[in-house]
Amino acid sequence: MSKRQHLTLLMACSLALPTLTMAQDDGPKFSFSGFGQLTVAKVLGGTQRPYMEWNCPCAIQNWEYVGVYEKSKGWQADQESLLGLQGSVRLNDRFSATAQLLSRANNKSYRPTLDWAYASYAINDEWTLQAGRKRIPLYYYSDFLYIGTAYPWVRPAPDVYGWPIYAYDGANLAYSTAVLGGRWTVDANVWAGGFNFKNAPYDTRIYYGDPTDEKWRNIFGGYVTLSNGELSGRVMVMSFNNDQRTHKADGTTSINMDGYKTTIWGISANYDGRHFIVRSELNKFSQQVSGFTYNYFLLGGGYKLGDWTAMYTISRYRTAENNLGFAIEGRRTRSLAIRYDLNKNWALKAQYDISKDQSQYDFFGDHRLLSFSAQTSF
Amino acid sequence: MAAKSRIALPLELAVKRHPNMPWRVCALALAIAPLGLARADGLVVIVAANSSAPKLNAEQVSAIFMGAAKSFPGGEKAVPIDQTPGSPAYGHFYNQVAGRTEAQVKAYWSRMVFTGKGTPPQDGGDAAAVKKLVAGNPNLLGYVDASLVDGSVKVLSEIK
Repeated sequence: MSKRQHLTLLMACSLALPTLTMAQDDGPKFSFSGFGQLTVAKVLGGTQRPYMEWNCPCAIQNWEYVGVYEKSKGWQADQESLLGLQGSVRLNDRFSATAQLLSRANNKSYRPTLDWAYASYAINDEWTLQAGRKRIPLYYYSDFLYIGTAYPWVRPAPDVYGWPIYAYDGANLAYSTAVLGGRWTVDANVWAGGFNFKNAPYDTRIYYGDPTDEKWRNIFGGYVTLSNGELSGRVMVMSFNNDQRTHKADGTTSINMDGYKTTIWGISANYDGRHFIVRSELNKFSQQVSGFTYNYFLLGGGYKLGDWTAMYTISRYRTAENNLGFAIEGRRTRSLAIRYDLNKNWALKAQYDISKDQSQYDFFGDHRLLSFSAQTSF
Repeated sequence: MAAKSRIALPLELAVKRHPNMPWRVCALALAIAPLGLARADGLVVIVAANSSAPKLNAEQVSAIFMGAAKSFPGGEKAVPIDQTPGSPAYGHFYNQVAGRTEAQVKAYWSRMVFTGKGTPPQDGGDAAAVKKLVAGNPNLLGYVDASLVDGSVKVLSEIK
């Protein structure tokens, strides 16, 4: 699909789908909505060396499906552009079902994947039980990572948002209520399940070269968010057993991780004033046996003026010494992003990133990246 | 030209006689300017006349319309009704109550809709349609121009 075809499809959907929304008074109510983005970016400079399949200078901007821009390829629109469509059916006041298809440029040439498919039962006004497939609400932006209109950047800092597993099959119990006379809201969620990702691009393409399966078993997680419309604070913890196997070209299979107990913690604090914005996240990944530890954060400040938002953000991740002898990996990035709300459905964004690779082995290297993105939700 | 002179002359004379006049004219213009926007500035949050819902402050109104609160402070179910997105009343209401532009409100609901956390208020149409809906159901609340308030509804909050 060409860039023009992709943009045409996005615009057609944004215009047509609202008219397809059905809202019958009786019986099931169907609704359709969607989101998408056309993102073009160019690596302006960086470390010159090859890494895996890439001819660097290059910039990894999406870890889940491995979106990597290469300087030698000039302007690229085929790494992060995507289209998502969601359909929901509400059977009554309590029960509904939702499915979401996502088509990504860098995932098998736009072949749609089922990212969300879940049933929802509202126990009462505060408690909701959901079961099926959902994105893991790991960090603040994890479960809406691709809803570009919902954040100020072209994409949330890749230094923070990068794991091989992004979804789980299981169930969750959500709680939401107003407290302190309605001035604050408590939003809490606990979830349990697992996910098996055969030939996970993150593992196969970035680290091992050979097809590698990633499985997260016995996922148990929960978060609590307290917000008042301007200020919000969030605390999250999740644990799981991590399996990882690589199928080598000689026919053998190596077990890289055998159910290693892993825990991820995350805290975030944000401020959304009429003009000023602050975004902060601090997270930690810790794994038993392998001793893998990741520490990572983002901190950003911005200013809104009418339809314009400017945002300056720093982010960093770094691993530590581990029992498997893998060299330390790390990166530090500074970003300047500008957002313009063209209308209620479209946001136009530009972003400039300067990123320093602090790994103690030849990883992707440094990069300077310029990105433009038209992002919509409809 | 003659007409222009007739209009301009009194002001020129006035300025010569009263050097501070331009400032006073500007001050007067600024003072009366909001009168032209009185209709847009006079939104009120309404419920049915037979509703037992208590008065609401701006934060409580925001919590209900942004999906954070599902009930009135008294405990009764609260179902917000919007005027049509894109209407002046919709933009003014969310700017005053939640401090968000229409695009920012849409962005907020996009996040909620695509993560299964909620859906935006139902579009009730124009002010008259919203008032009619609200008047017929004590669980509904909406916002209309103050001039439309009659005996079928009561005011819970005034939107400055």
